[in-house]
Amino acid sequence: MKKLVRILDGNIFALSEDNGDMTFSPTNPAGFFGFDTRLLSTWRLSIDGEPLHPLAVHEPSYYRIRFFLVPGNPTHYVDAKASVIRDRWIADSSFTERLTVLNHTGQSVDHVVRIDIDSDFAPIYHVVWPQASALRGYREVAEDCLRLGYRRDKFHRVTDVSTSEAAEVDERGFTFRIRIGPQGKWSTTLRVKGLVLRPDGADVRDRLRYAEAQVGSQLRHDLTHWLADAPRLHCDWEPMTMTYQRGLVDLAGLRFSPLAMPHETMLAAGLPWSATIIGRDSIITSFQTLPFVPGLAATTLRLLALDQGSVLDDFRDEEPGKMLNEFRYGEMAAFEERPQSPYFGGADVTPLFVVLLDEYERWTGDAALVRELEDATRAALHWIDEYGDLRGDGYLWYQPRNERSGALNHCWKDSPEAICYRDGRLPGLPRATCELQGYAYDAKRRGARLAREFWGDPAYADRLERQAEELKRRFNQDFWIADGEYFALALGPDGDQVDALASNMGHLLWSGIVERPRAEAVAGHLLGPRLFSGWGVRTLATGQTSYNPLGYHVGAVWPFDNSLIACGLYRYGFVAEAGLIAESIIDAAQHFAGRMPEAFAGYDRELTRYPVPYPASNSPQASATGATFLLLRTLLGLEPYGEHLVVHPAVPQRFGRIELLEIPGRWGRMDAIGNARLVTR
Amino acid sequence: MSDAVSDFFEGLARNGARMLRQISGTVRFDLDGPDGVEHWLAAIDQGRITVGRGGAEDADTVINADRELFLRMARGEVKPVPAWLRNDFTADGDFRLVMVLERLFAPPPGARHPRAAAGRQQPTGGSAA
Repeated sequence: MKKLVRILDGNIFALSEDNGDMTFSPTNPAGFFGFDTRLLSTWRLSIDGEPLHPLAVHEPSYYRIRFFLVPGNPTHYVDAKASVIRDRWIADSSFTERLTVLNHTGQSVDHVVRIDIDSDFAPIYHVVWPQASALRGYREVAEDCLRLGYRRDKFHRVTDVSTSEAAEVDERGFTFRIRIGPQGKWSTTLRVKGLVLRPDGADVRDRLRYAEAQVGSQLRHDLTHWLADAPRLHCDWEPMTMTYQRGLVDLAGLRFSPLAMPHETMLAAGLPWSATIIGRDSIITSFQTLPFVPGLAATTLRLLALDQGSVLDDFRDEEPGKMLNEFRYGEMAAFEERPQSPYFGGADVTPLFVVLLDEYERWTGDAALVRELEDATRAALHWIDEYGDLRGDGYLWYQPRNERSGALNHCWKDSPEAICYRDGRLPGLPRATCELQGYAYDAKRRGARLAREFWGDPAYADRLERQAEELKRRFNQDFWIADGEYFALALGPDGDQVDALASNMGHLLWSGIVERPRAEAVAGHLLGPRLFSGWGVRTLATGQTSYNPLGYHVGAVWPFDNSLIACGLYRYGFVAEAGLIAESIIDAAQHFAGRMPEAFAGYDRELTRYPVPYPASNSPQASATGATFLLLRTLLGLEPYGEHLVVHPAVPQRFGRIELLEIPGRWGRMDAIGNARLVTR
Repeated sequence: MSDAVSDFFEGLARNGARMLRQISGTVRFDLDGPDGVEHWLAAIDQGRITVGRGGAEDADTVINADRELFLRMARGEVKPVPAWLRNDFTADGDFRLVMVLERLFAPPPGARHPRAAAGRQQPTGGSAA
């Protein structure tokens, strides 16, 4: 996707070229977006018929940007007689631009300043996956104001553009005929407000008490408070602190308030294109960041519980007790052309919900939330057995019922080719990927703890634990590939082993489902030459027919995947291996100024010497950002134990000394310090 | 006099809904019909529902829908959240209760159990263990 500059505030954002213009074409993702809709697709400035060229672009924060421009082509910069400043920011659902024209001559000058304005009101899905799009909707001209609107039945989206200085308004934009005195300047403030209108003309957000809650969202912009509240990190290895600081800032930018909880914030899955609730990503990032910013997990758990599936619905792959995969507010969701209203096509989200709730309580001691969410959590655990266990054999399977617009694979590797045999064949349906079994095992064990300690139901706890032990025993038989000494990626529809060697095995260590005697072989594979690239563990091992270093889920290295793998290795005592993964991933991140990419190519480190980022469209990506935090937890060996925080560091040489100060939790605030070990095993 | 809307609310009061204990709040339904607007109130207290018919009492969420759409939602034929996204009905107040509206209504007709869709018989035994 084309490189564009952008500003954003949660799920409202603007993307433009580096001169501030947005130029409409069906394949250009530029625009101003809100409510999963492109509200503005054309925003083009000219002076006396000439476009503007950037001299400099300044980005003081994620919601503000400033462009310094001159008219004409770069060749006439030298003695520019005029220049332009576009100062642009996003706040309170609006996009505002303060436009200033400066006259650098000693005479008065006349200019015609023109801003072209238009919109295709495209659903965001069509921008991410470009297809034929056209400018559409109606236009209404008023005094110093232009309304762009789009209606479909009662569905109504509006973009109101206004100017503080008088303009000639037509259906395609504003024209200003101005005179600027010697060495003088002229300014106007343009305001672009997106509206989600009801038939009675009110904005839905105003009627849901959302807008009023967001008026204080400037507070969210106050990074100082956010940063001061997070633990402070000192580390001898500079890339670690840089990545940590960048990560904290990126987490701040990823926060948004869901419509149902306008006073709370949680993390969007990725910016800008996944600025929404994606169950798996929200849960995993909450888990990764629990020791640092635990409040996000509480909002995530409450919101997912509120939106929990309650009926059978084939179009949405919904079942009672299931946790959602993705929620969208746009036209395609509204008219059921796509199932995200919300969509439930993920078999991992529901067990991971239970995992997060338990982990959240272990860190924070927030027993009230565990009690509040008892019904939802029991329904989630019931879902695993009743709806996830498609074949009644005790394993967690998936098979999409929405074959037209749903996902084929209901696990984190959701691209169609991701789940494959070693020889490249794709298994039929249903499929039971190995990591799902680990998540189910972990959910049952953790659910048992919650039932015993908070719900007063020891019989249920015993039953869950028996199920978990039985699952573990059978899993270690049925998924284990004896001659290769690794776990199959999945079971296919006939119960046969889908035998590709893949990173999913690392999640099994994280979940604890691997029998100890097998862990060494698993660790050996994860750090062996086929899976470990030097920058991290590949999603799929070299030598598998489908392996491609640029394959999204069949070769690329994902930091989030690696963070769970490192955590799992540590759990089984492979602390040197965990440290090596942490070091490689942090080392890679420093090539991106600490902003952890969603994925790197799977090339051998010796071959490229540089981590080649996968050309993903989202940056930052929540779970990639979260990887830094979970790796840090793993390096320091942080683990809540009763009311205490246990610190058991295993720090590779490269890091030197790591000090993480004021870690929040049920203990109040505590410090953790780890020094590099001379002998790491 | 039998009336589909009254029948629905009486059934709701009698049988409850697929609510969870974490859910509390009041929802007023303003239903537009040929004889004007009728008001119904569903009060949810930790998942338990009581139903009342009356005037325009305050509620956490007010749903304004026409009777026909409401009945189609009640029968599970129209999904509430996308209907709200389309502006087929409007909601004022707390959006949380819009998200749980479907729990008051009948499930979508004709949906399949995942096991049935996967082409297997419902097993007679339990799952693991």
